Amino acid sequence: MRAVGAAFALLLCCGAWLFAGCDRERVFQREGYVFGTRVDVSVYADDPKLADAAIADVLREFDRLHNAYHAWKPSELTALNEALASGQSFEASPELAEMLRDAQRLFEIGAGLFDPSVGAAVELWGFHSDAFEPARPDPEALAALKAAPPRVNDVVIENGRVSSRNPAVKIDLGGYAKGYALDRAAALLKGRGIQNALINVGGNIMALGSKGGQPWRVGIQHPRQSGVLATMPLYDGEAIGTSGDYQRYFELDGVRYAHLLDPRTLEPSHGTQALTVLVGNRPRGGVLSDVASKPAYLAGEGWREQTRHFGIEHALRVAGDGRVEVTRALRARLAFSEPVKASVVD
Amino acid sequence: MRGAGLRLRSAGAWRVLLRPGDWAVALAGLAVCAASGLWLWRGGEADGVIVRAAGKVFAQASLSHPRRIDVPGPLGMTVIEIEPGRARVASDPGPRQYCVRQGWLARAGAVAICAPNEVSLTLTGRGADYDSLNY
Repeated sequence: MRAVGAAFALLLCCGAWLFAGCDRERVFQREGYVFGTRVDVSVYADDPKLADAAIADVLREFDRLHNAYHAWKPSELTALNEALASGQSFEASPELAEMLRDAQRLFEIGAGLFDPSVGAAVELWGFHSDAFEPARPDPEALAALKAAPPRVNDVVIENGRVSSRNPAVKIDLGGYAKGYALDRAAALLKGRGIQNALINVGGNIMALGSKGGQPWRVGIQHPRQSGVLATMPLYDGEAIGTSGDYQRYFELDGVRYAHLLDPRTLEPSHGTQALTVLVGNRPRGGVLSDVASKPAYLAGEGWREQTRHFGIEHALRVAGDGRVEVTRALRARLAFSEPVKASVVD
Repeated sequence: MRGAGLRLRSAGAWRVLLRPGDWAVALAGLAVCAASGLWLWRGGEADGVIVRAAGKVFAQASLSHPRRIDVPGPLGMTVIEIEPGRARVASDPGPRQYCVRQGWLARAGAVAICAPNEVSLTLTGRGADYDSLNY
């Protein structure tokens, strides 16, 4: 009997080993290119057909969002912006009208540091273009814009008709759409019966369920090195987003100009290399993971206060000089890749 | 040990049960453990690359031999260069060159993305300690 028992135990062990190997096989992944960046969707499932069909649905939805809300190729958004610039009102789709209302709400929460109406300034800084020319904007054009600074609460939404009290308003959903896409993807996957997935839209990530009982893990890119700064588990419904100066930027005379503009100055800010927020499982968590990192990124040393406005307890900042600051709650989750002297804040 | 007919009186007495061959077996077992640990764990070291173009796998290669992979995209040719243990985007037709400036990648899970030309380079390996990269 002993021999049978031992053989059985051995078989169990081998089985466990085999299944451990199978886990990777059951992750189905595809990537695509939208919003000027990469998206990738991983689904952990038993049925490859179900996973493929669900992922295809998600990528189609991303394409739809890309085409509808592109900031400079003809889209519903550019049509809205043309109307607002010429003082006209615009019949917006219910989805776009709702996004604008949501953006106004987030503008208030972020004390004005999240403002998607600064598209004209983003364009002046050269970030609305497939081409690339490192140059400061035309000073006169920038000064004119600063004289009548656009605010997203200049936008008036009535019965689906959108107008603006300030013709300088030019909506750019660059800091919102990626998060919105995460929420849409999560809803689509759940609707398809997918419980376990990891969605990455241009660096913003949302997790559904887990990977065969093990939590999904994400790496946080180091803002100045090619590797990761830290890794951490991402649990069901959580989303993570980073605002940084290392993804879209140009350098001129030794100064780095990043694409995130401070709505108060319409200039890039310089105090922070990267600001990461982790949003718990809550409605519109994807949007929040995209939006809430912006005000904290722009606030410099005042970053912690900004994350509190959004009810966020998990946040990480790499300051302009490379110092790492992390909230107590997030510190408990992080595994730093190399020993890092991180100062913990409450 | 009930019913075994043997009672061990002092803490070290069990040693009398071991024969010289048993020690050899135990030592061999330890050696196998240590060796497999070194062999299999290799924390985070990459062993291969996956190159994707327009979202589809274009090439998969091991990191053991030097190799050059030309990847066509909407803007032109992205060139991936592989050396033992590392890989990089050697050149890319995109305007901002971020993926080229990333330089050599060596850790499993590391990614370089040339978004305009829709090419990505991902390092794979048993020790990849994350599933996706936040940036």
